[in-house]
Amino acid sequence: MSEHMSRSSAWSRYRFLTAHAFRMEWRQKHGLAGLLLFALASVYACYQVAGGRASSETWNALAWVVLMFSAFNAVAKPWPEDSEAMRKYLKTALRPGEWILARMTFYSAILSALSVLIFLSFTLFLGSEHFNPRQGLSFLLGLECTALAFASLLSVLSAISSRAGAGFGLTAVLGLPLIIPIVLISTRYGTDILKGILWIDTAHHLLFLAALTGGIGALGFILFPYLWRD
Amino acid sequence: MKNTLWKALGILLLAYVFAITFLVPLGPGLLEFQNVDRVISSATENRSVPEYQLIGYGTHWDEEPDALQVFVKSKSQLAALEVIRVDDATHATIGLTLPYSLPAKSWNVLINHPVDGTLLLENGLFLSDRFIDAQATWPAPSFVEHPGNLGFHFPYQPRIIETIRNLMLHVPLWFTMFLLMGIGFVSSIKLLSNPRNELDDQRAEASVQVGLWFGVLGLLTGSLWARFTWGAWWVDDPQLNGALVTVLVYSGYMVLRQAVEDERLRSRLSAVYNLFAFVILVILLMVLPRFSESLHPGKGGNPGFNTYDLNSALRAVFYPAIVGWMLLGIWMYLVTLRMKRVNRQIELLP
Repeated sequence: MSEHMSRSSAWSRYRFLTAHAFRMEWRQKHGLAGLLLFALASVYACYQVAGGRASSETWNALAWVVLMFSAFNAVAKPWPEDSEAMRKYLKTALRPGEWILARMTFYSAILSALSVLIFLSFTLFLGSEHFNPRQGLSFLLGLECTALAFASLLSVLSAISSRAGAGFGLTAVLGLPLIIPIVLISTRYGTDILKGILWIDTAHHLLFLAALTGGIGALGFILFPYLWRD
Repeated sequence: MKNTLWKALGILLLAYVFAITFLVPLGPGLLEFQNVDRVISSATENRSVPEYQLIGYGTHWDEEPDALQVFVKSKSQLAALEVIRVDDATHATIGLTLPYSLPAKSWNVLINHPVDGTLLLENGLFLSDRFIDAQATWPAPSFVEHPGNLGFHFPYQPRIIETIRNLMLHVPLWFTMFLLMGIGFVSSIKLLSNPRNELDDQRAEASVQVGLWFGVLGLLTGSLWARFTWGAWWVDDPQLNGALVTVLVYSGYMVLRQAVEDERLRSRLSAVYNLFAFVILVILLMVLPRFSESLHPGKGGNPGFNTYDLNSALRAVFYPAIVGWMLLGIWMYLVTLRMKRVNRQIELLP
């Protein structure tokens, strides 16, 4: 890997690392399966708690809560690279900024797929009568943007807590307060969409989300090298 | 000597602020102009007119009862009402001597009094049952704005009333928190650029620790204020959410510090987290509320303080309050920092 790194461009290194993350995940499929199971079981629990078909407000609230907890669950699994020995080796082989970007990309892809799944299972169990197809697509777009924001924030936080050696508990403690601003913006967007407000009149929430994603990603990229140092 | 001077200045300023804040009286204002569902015979108009009760707050109508004048004003017209009698310092019985045809339904109520000066109750009178005729006019009565004859006082503001005093606590507490978190932010950047400097880590921890206290006090004073002005201890508002989340995020900083054993690693991890926390603070408290609707003054696209909100009496206390609280905050921060350094040296003793 070391030779590969030194001769290649930043872009190809980033692509390699991202592909590597997916390959590692695919090799131990229980991680993905566990994620799917968690999301589906949460949706089904919501279906039971809401007593069948949910009102528009309940639908909106539960969808964001399920996405949030699924996102936390997705970053809960430690990476092989998080171990002390692997980190010491990888430090000599690759650049930490590229590695965190690859990790963010990986989580973004996982959470995007997960949000589609959550949306579909929500329409299956909790009903789709609160929106027409166009509103449904707008809502899904909001879920996707939120998934990207979650992914960039939680990648950095899980890296911090695994470096602290404190495991998943610390990710949740640090992550929940920091994630509230994202959830606030997303729920406003979702409420607006389900109320029937035109997409263009509430699309600025998506811009906020994109700005947050970009900001957190850039901050993570700049600061991550400091986490890897000894 | 130099080190004691600014601390003494801070304490003196705060003593001045607390004394003035709680001792200076509030200026007079109008609370209500209400229909009491009775008619009363007017001496000047020679007919029966509806009786209204004018209720003031902190007014002195009984001192010169004959000098009280009451007017109502729409966009185009001013009319004088008849003062039937002054009941006490804050209550007066008014006869609604208005013609049946009026140019508007909604009227501002104005009074003139030699002691209290000119007072205004916006949209104090609403007449839904009158005939509206835009052409209805009459000669305007003579009206001269009166400055009043009161000593140093805080301005009366509708709905805020006596809680205007909270301005000297709530707002400077948050300013001090911003200052302390700013110190933490700078220390964390310095630490990341030179990780060997232990002092920067202690600076960051001390400033966040003290800043959190100011944040919690800011939340508590804000909650009190919200209860009085908005009717609930907590409301769903971008500014309030932002304030609470900021305090939670910085609490997370303290948790993170407890969670890491290794000192070098702890200083670096918490510095990275601290930079995130400060960026979130700026976004939550300074950027987002300006783009969303908010009940909170200074947000929702409004500028923070303008001449209407802050008159000279408030300024004379508010600016010293900011300086005083900030000096106290810095003093607390320096004491906390010294405690940390002393504890550290005790740990290092053989």
